[in-house]
Amino acid sequence: MAERHRADVLVSCLHDRAPDLLPALRQEIEQRGLAGEVRVIEAGCRGFCSMGPVLLIEPDGTFYVGVQAADVPELVEETLVKGRVVERLTYREPTTRKRIPRYEDIPFHSKQQRIVLRHCGLINPTSIEEYIAVGGYQALGKVLTEMTPEQVIEEIKRSGLRGRGGAGFPTGRKWEAARKAHGDIKYVVVNGDEGDPNCFMDRALMEADPHSILEGAIIAAYAIGAQHGFFYIPFEHTLSIKNVRTAIEQAREYGFLGQNILGAGFDFDMEVRIGAHCFVGGESTAVMAAIEGRASEPRSKYVHTTEKGVYNRPSCLNNVKTLSVVPEIILRGADWYTGIGTETSKGTAVFSLAGKVNNVGLVEVPMGITPRELIFEIGGGIPNKRRFKALQIGGPSGGFLPESLLDMPMDYETLDQAGAMMGTGGVIVADDRTCLLDTVKFFLEFLQEESCGKCTPCREGLPQLHRILSRIVEGRGEPADLETLESLGRAIQITSLCGLGKTAPNPVLSTLRYFRDEYLAHIEQKKCPAGVCKALVTFVINEKCTGCGVCARKCPQNAISGELKQAHVINQSLCIKCGVCRDACKFDAISVA
Amino acid sequence: MAKLIIDGQEFQAEEGQTVLEVARKNGIAIPTLCYHPVLEPYGGCRLCMVEVIRHGRSQLVTSCTYPAWDGIEVKTHSEPVIEARKAVLGLLLSRCPNVPLIQNLAYEYGVKEPPFPTENPEEKCILCGLCVRVCHEMVKANVLNFADHGPERKVGPAFMEKTRQCIGCGACTIVCPTGAIEIVLKEAAEYQAKPLGPTSAIYVPFPQAIPRVPVIDTDACIRFRQHDRTNGQIADACGACEMLCEAGAIDLDQQDEILELDVGAIVVATGFQLWDAHKLPQYSYGKSPNIITGLEFERLSNASGITGGQILCADGKKPEKVAIIHCVGSRDKNAHEYCSRVCCMYALKHAHQVREKTGAQVYEFYMDMRAFGKAYEEFYERVQEEGVVMVRGRGAEVEVLENGKLRVKGEDANLGKVVAVEVDMVILNTAIEPVHDASRIASLFGLGRTTDGFFAEAHPKLRPVETNTEGIFLAGCCQAPRDVPDTVAHASAAAAEALKLLSRGEVVISPQTAYIPAELCSGCRVCNALCPYNAISFDEERKVSVVNDALCKGCGTCVAACPSGIIVARHFTDDQILVQIEALLGTPTS
Repeated sequence: MAERHRADVLVSCLHDRAPDLLPALRQEIEQRGLAGEVRVIEAGCRGFCSMGPVLLIEPDGTFYVGVQAADVPELVEETLVKGRVVERLTYREPTTRKRIPRYEDIPFHSKQQRIVLRHCGLINPTSIEEYIAVGGYQALGKVLTEMTPEQVIEEIKRSGLRGRGGAGFPTGRKWEAARKAHGDIKYVVVNGDEGDPNCFMDRALMEADPHSILEGAIIAAYAIGAQHGFFYIPFEHTLSIKNVRTAIEQAREYGFLGQNILGAGFDFDMEVRIGAHCFVGGESTAVMAAIEGRASEPRSKYVHTTEKGVYNRPSCLNNVKTLSVVPEIILRGADWYTGIGTETSKGTAVFSLAGKVNNVGLVEVPMGITPRELIFEIGGGIPNKRRFKALQIGGPSGGFLPESLLDMPMDYETLDQAGAMMGTGGVIVADDRTCLLDTVKFFLEFLQEESCGKCTPCREGLPQLHRILSRIVEGRGEPADLETLESLGRAIQITSLCGLGKTAPNPVLSTLRYFRDEYLAHIEQKKCPAGVCKALVTFVINEKCTGCGVCARKCPQNAISGELKQAHVINQSLCIKCGVCRDACKFDAISVA
Repeated sequence: MAKLIIDGQEFQAEEGQTVLEVARKNGIAIPTLCYHPVLEPYGGCRLCMVEVIRHGRSQLVTSCTYPAWDGIEVKTHSEPVIEARKAVLGLLLSRCPNVPLIQNLAYEYGVKEPPFPTENPEEKCILCGLCVRVCHEMVKANVLNFADHGPERKVGPAFMEKTRQCIGCGACTIVCPTGAIEIVLKEAAEYQAKPLGPTSAIYVPFPQAIPRVPVIDTDACIRFRQHDRTNGQIADACGACEMLCEAGAIDLDQQDEILELDVGAIVVATGFQLWDAHKLPQYSYGKSPNIITGLEFERLSNASGITGGQILCADGKKPEKVAIIHCVGSRDKNAHEYCSRVCCMYALKHAHQVREKTGAQVYEFYMDMRAFGKAYEEFYERVQEEGVVMVRGRGAEVEVLENGKLRVKGEDANLGKVVAVEVDMVILNTAIEPVHDASRIASLFGLGRTTDGFFAEAHPKLRPVETNTEGIFLAGCCQAPRDVPDTVAHASAAAAEALKLLSRGEVVISPQTAYIPAELCSGCRVCNALCPYNAISFDEERKVSVVNDALCKGCGTCVAACPSGIIVARHFTDDQILVQIEALLGTPTS
């Protein structure tokens, strides 16, 4: 890093979306003789998924979105040579429709507080030097030279840090239990298996900032007295595996892992263990089973894993996000961390925004933020100006919250009471054209397939819930079904072995609690208010029709006919209720009868 | 020692015990499906849920995995517990509506009908994982596994393909609570053809056995089979018996050992073996499960046998006609010429038993009825009165008919013509013969054998239990075929002879023994093999033959055989004999 550059170009979202962007950019810069002045950096995930691939030019902070290889010549010419902003590549705020050229000014970014994701997209994840340059491994140095293990545990306890894997168990208490557990050999387990289908924060973190996790893990090992660590990553996350392996090798080279770390007489080493990816595979005992080489199925943990974990030895398992925060807490102090968040939930939460929201992506916000801020400010609101209906939080087994709870401050406790959960922070927004029953049915399908099948209630109960729900959306529901759904859901919650089964009925139970009308509409009136459930829907063209003919052109069945500028009609015998016409109509002229 | 309260009563728990174990030990019933005392707790079926109050917090837990911690309170039948079990049983009954175990359990909890639709009414497997775990943890064959997940979960070998890893031990079928696993043999008939049926690997040989303790059949025992199959790599398979035996009486590491004892007398009682009926193919032994030997019939009619003492054919039906054939292998120039002595009487007993238990018609094919003992003739009379048909003449042939019946042919000497009867069962009274390794035993003890192969007694009339080797006695059928009363008498005599020897405390030996002057012996060993009493051994150190005075009978064989002519028969030296001759002849000594 002896060379000085005039500008750094940080490119994110490369691995699937624009494979030719980076070579094109490098070539263009080379051709224009800018190689010595401009440096191109492959940065990790910035979390702004709906806008990728994104490109940040430092030091002036210009931010381009949706960049393709074809944009490269113009971009280099205008911005890197002439210093002008290419207007068309900048971000346009969906609500105000104003262009915002600087990254700092974009609400998606400016409303966030990035602690876990502090380095994501800002440093090269495969370079330990860059991590050290931003203050990396300072905390480890502090811990090894100035603090006893007990002091470390005390600091983490005081910070109020809770496990970011989902359940929110206080991290300091877990470490303390592992430290006190009897046994010569203890393990640190880093859990990088995130099973939620719409979540990718763990993966983003492992890909973009593996060293922060590693540093946290080494501190954890020092605190509990472990000599060996396992970094568990599902095999699909190939880039995570690559980057974490590189990070481990680099850390060994620099003496942060191995014998006599930093000359402090502390030995610790880590290895990557690769597992099969599944939803239940991220459960702590399932992770441990997989590390031992067995099928990743959970077991009872009345005796905590801090007593009997991997190979029946004391093991301290933490989520990657939890560990990534640890160095920051050590450096900035517990008091700094307790200043963020709510009374019971300190620090920040990472949410993965998806569904009917403009800015799909990863966001990190202080605990206690309201859903309204999350969806309408950071998320940029609902596309096509549709009405908000519900928010599902906590991944597939999280609960659905209604509009009336939009101003509830979100933390572990409030979400739990409301019938949802923090989980790994998956957030899905539903608008008025989303049928919640259909959505719940989709999640049940996912959950029953992802159940390992070990315990009776989860294996046998979820398919029965799914069966009843399928009947309802097909128009064959009966009033007694609601009671059956409720009692069976409760029984599954109470009797299941692991977190998957215990939370799987949440979508059903929360929708029954907040959206009972929608169930009744399906069962009693045999209608799907959102117009999704095919068996219960009839599309009709109302008086708003201008006769533009868009719907007729889009209809895959040619079921819509009518003169131009005259109201059109739908031939019901041909209609397959796909809803393409309704989505295509700009005048809201197609409604559900 | 932890103290906990279960249903209001205080109990003590040992380190490492679960709530379920403590409850069961104290007679508190908690239903389970996936629990087995020798397997690791699983917590899968969720039926054993109980309410536990710990640190003032109440929660529902599975008692099979919950540690019996100090100070906890357990409720095994509170309302939430019942509701939870009801829900679990409802789901299981909907999965397996026709499994009696699940039906009964569900009924007990008031679930009378499956509450949810059933996918496959024939489903028997409740996926409790007992079979999978027994295969991994106990048998260590790792054949059975779970495949797929969620509702698609099923049990089977890897990739659901046939595997050679399965050792066919059947442990999975034993632990399966719902009978969902069956062993199907490729040749089912072969399995059924085994007249005595299968037994478990541990059994009491017979109820009257002394000592009456079970034995482990190492050919059937999973632990020994796995050990042998893998050349000792899997040495700790199963061991369920060791784990479950409360008396701690099983030691699977015990090895066969050779004991060396110094004794003053030996009674040889090596018994007999049955002559192999396959050797006379005309009797078709082995071609039908209903052709059995007398000893097999004993097992069949034994109250502790496989049929509980009922006399049944292989198809489970009572026989209507039974033929008993005497002298199979005895009194036969093609087999043994001697009479086996015991067959006539046990044949009569069998005839009596068949008549009494089944009422079947019995045909006895006999040559001579040898009812020689006390009250034997009377018994013969009685059996005849019971209606047994006596056919005087050797049973010549047994033919297996296509309908499974057996045709027995023989000549009736009284009628002077050939008779044939169709029967359901044939009992062959096979001969008693010396054990297969009788020659090895004979050379070990220096015993003689008579032409029939049995060990020779010292004198047929005067010394019936002694042998030519001092201190070695014979008892029972190793000497000649004899029935139980005769054997008891013979054995008692042998014991008395042995005691007579022992009670003297010292042995009087004849002074007339052979003597080998060591300085003259060339060590050729000719005498070693010739000595009929095994009295001459070879001293490897000095390279000379030595006579054991206690064994030597002074027969003089060695004296005559010695190529160097140096062996001296004490008191019968050449000089002494010559002097005696001279004295007799009246010639003066030289």
